[in-house]
Amino acid sequence: MDDIFSQVREGNAFHVRVWLDNTENDLNQGDDHRFSLLHWASREGRTNIVDMLILRGARINATNLGDDTPLHLAAAHGHRDAVLMLIHNKANINAINEHGNTPLHYACFWGYEQIAEDLVNNGALVNIANKFNDVPLDKCKPYLARMLKDRAIALGQDLSKIPFKDRSWLGYKTRSRDAMLSRHTGIDIRQLQLVGHIASTHSGETWRGTWQDNDIVAKILNVREVTKRITRDFMEEFPRLRIFNHPNVLPVLACCNQPPNLVLISQFMPFGSLYNTLHGESGIVVDQNQALRFAMDITRGMEFLHSMEPMVPNFLLTSKHVMIDEDLAKINIDDPKYQSGEATLNGIDEDLTARINMADYTFSFHEKGKVFSPAWMAPEALQRRPADINTRAADMWSFAILLWELETREVPFAELSSMEVGMKVALEGLRISVPPGISSHMSRLIKICMNEEPGKRPRFDMVIPILEKMKHQ
Amino acid sequence: MATSPNTSTSSGTLTPKKKDESFLEKIGTLARKKKIKEVNELQEEGKNAIESPTSPTLPDIGPEGYQLGEAEERSMIEPHSRENAKLKDLIQVLLDWINDELADHRIIVKDIEEDLFDGQILQKLIEKLANVKVEAPEVTQSEIGQKQKLRVVLDYINRMLQLPPVWNQQKWSVDSVHTKNLVAILHLVVALARHFRAPIRLPENVCVTLLVVQKVDGVLQTRRITEEITSTNDDIGARFERDAFDTLFDHAPDKLNVVKKTLVTFVNKQLMKVNLEVTDLDSQFHDGVYLVMLIGLLEGYFVPLYHFHLTPDTFEQKVHNVTFAFELMQDAGLQKPKARPEDVVNLDLKSTLRVLYNIFTKYKATTSSTSSAVQ
Repeated sequence: MDDIFSQVREGNAFHVRVWLDNTENDLNQGDDHRFSLLHWASREGRTNIVDMLILRGARINATNLGDDTPLHLAAAHGHRDAVLMLIHNKANINAINEHGNTPLHYACFWGYEQIAEDLVNNGALVNIANKFNDVPLDKCKPYLARMLKDRAIALGQDLSKIPFKDRSWLGYKTRSRDAMLSRHTGIDIRQLQLVGHIASTHSGETWRGTWQDNDIVAKILNVREVTKRITRDFMEEFPRLRIFNHPNVLPVLACCNQPPNLVLISQFMPFGSLYNTLHGESGIVVDQNQALRFAMDITRGMEFLHSMEPMVPNFLLTSKHVMIDEDLAKINIDDPKYQSGEATLNGIDEDLTARINMADYTFSFHEKGKVFSPAWMAPEALQRRPADINTRAADMWSFAILLWELETREVPFAELSSMEVGMKVALEGLRISVPPGISSHMSRLIKICMNEEPGKRPRFDMVIPILEKMKHQ
Repeated sequence: MATSPNTSTSSGTLTPKKKDESFLEKIGTLARKKKIKEVNELQEEGKNAIESPTSPTLPDIGPEGYQLGEAEERSMIEPHSRENAKLKDLIQVLLDWINDELADHRIIVKDIEEDLFDGQILQKLIEKLANVKVEAPEVTQSEIGQKQKLRVVLDYINRMLQLPPVWNQQKWSVDSVHTKNLVAILHLVVALARHFRAPIRLPENVCVTLLVVQKVDGVLQTRRITEEITSTNDDIGARFERDAFDTLFDHAPDKLNVVKKTLVTFVNKQLMKVNLEVTDLDSQFHDGVYLVMLIGLLEGYFVPLYHFHLTPDTFEQKVHNVTFAFELMQDAGLQKPKARPEDVVNLDLKSTLRVLYNIFTKYKATTSSTSSAVQ
């Protein structure tokens, strides 16, 4: 386990890839000093691993205990490729560490001219002061200072000194995860400090609480009688939900198997589900870009789940089973919009990310014979058992309903009860209607995804380029 | 070897008319040696009486009736009571059940009296029902062998049914079964059917009239008594107490229609949503489909169609549906229904009403104001 950090340091790409393929491994975990894998890869200039980690959803702006971001380390050690890669993936260019230093401070101090230039070209401020009231230009050799100053003026930077502001209180938000989190399987229910009751639904009760200083949600499954067989099945099925290696999948962290209580523990998501965000009173504005971003996140998450062999069965894709997370990695605390409150100032438009919640998996013994969200299910899934249908194609139908939901902001078949929806969709050909207001590309995509012929529906990997294209239009 | 059905009207608990030697042997054990000669004569007389169609026989009492000791009693089924439609029905239902159970063994029972007396089929039946192996002697033609086997099997059954010895002596015994006493055999099979909760619906209140002969002061006296083979079905295992429905059925049949009407209204209010309508409570719930729909509507979920049979054809499919509906009801926090799924499938009105009423009491308040919980 701990070895992965040295593997990354030594640049053993093959080992790292194998490690990342194991769903139980959390690529955002940190070592004792909360250096994440990306920190180490950046520090050692393992460009291929940096690339791999970014692709898999590593947090770009994760910080270690000294509040360094990977960009700090890449800049300080002169790895230009890594610096550029991080910058292109929206690394926070003016992030400050505990000393108040930005990456540019380090590039200047160590005399990496090209990197310093790249940083300034990409918006690094030359006059940001650290704790000791030194700006980057104070740190470098005179000729480099002159050059950078000229460049900054050319780019229109205001050269008055920006005083040091202690923002260390913000740091904890982006720090790498406690590596211990992904090592726990079964835990004692008494270790959970459950403080607030969130909801009681048909599937169980959810509580908010803390566990080892992490904000968590505990879902206590609603089972009539927890028999020996059921606890056995629970233990057998639960480990498959610990999927830590994809950013768009929200893993189950741990469980308690203490009859009569079966509890699933996952990270607390302050925004709740996508259903909540779209239809509830969350106060979150989901604009077109954000909706597209969600669609993309879900597609990526599903594509990953579908690539697993064997697949996690019995996961029904609905907006209730998708959680909304702040994309902390991409929030730029120095972004003016976080200071001025104006949302449209900078190019960053999508700050929320969608994650498929594995805690909403339906256990084989749970809610047997009951479907509470038939509106999202394909007609064939309502009629035939999962073994007899193409479940990937059925998921694609569910995704079409989700797209419709993201576009219309309506609940599918809101006026009907579940039994009515199920019977009518399965037997009477009831379908959602795509209103004329939505874009022709999107309405075409919805239609393709919910083709009556399951075999003719696309796969998730085919949807990714389509959505990407829409985003750039 | 045995009496023909036509003449067996008097077989009651009589000593079997077997080979003479064995008969004599038995009489010997009965310590009535003095009477051997007399008996032999009587036996002969009785045989003749039966075998010659022209000779008049005493209508009610078999020839052995004469052998009664002082104050001894014999009983037999009154001939016309055998023709009772309910009794025939009961016998047929039991035969069908036994044949169903033993189909794998390629055993077909045609006559409940002629085929069960030697314990062979009873052994197979009990082994199948309880999934046990009964160590009993192999099939044998000798009476002693048959009785030994029968004793082992009956002992096993009695232990399994946990019957007090007295009671079972009254209802059936090795002798009574071996002599093909219909009443004893019926009691035995009915007890088995009840104990193992056979998926059959026994006709209720089946009675036979027994003719009891007693010798008082050397004179045969006869009286008729009614023997109840089955009572009402809900005494099954005496597992549950009487409830309002028993009272309703027994004392206020007129009110029954009011209850039915209320239930139909309640049920239709839900089922209308999926374009279904109930007109006849007695028969439309027996296959379980509407029950499943009803629970789903009330609890706010859809039941994938592969979990039950939307158009059940066979008894098993219907039982599956009703059993599944019962599971869903328990998941919804309702009491485990007292009725068995088979009762509902067998169109037992009381069971059906109990189930529906149970649902009604839980949901009547919630459904009158708001429609079912959605989302």
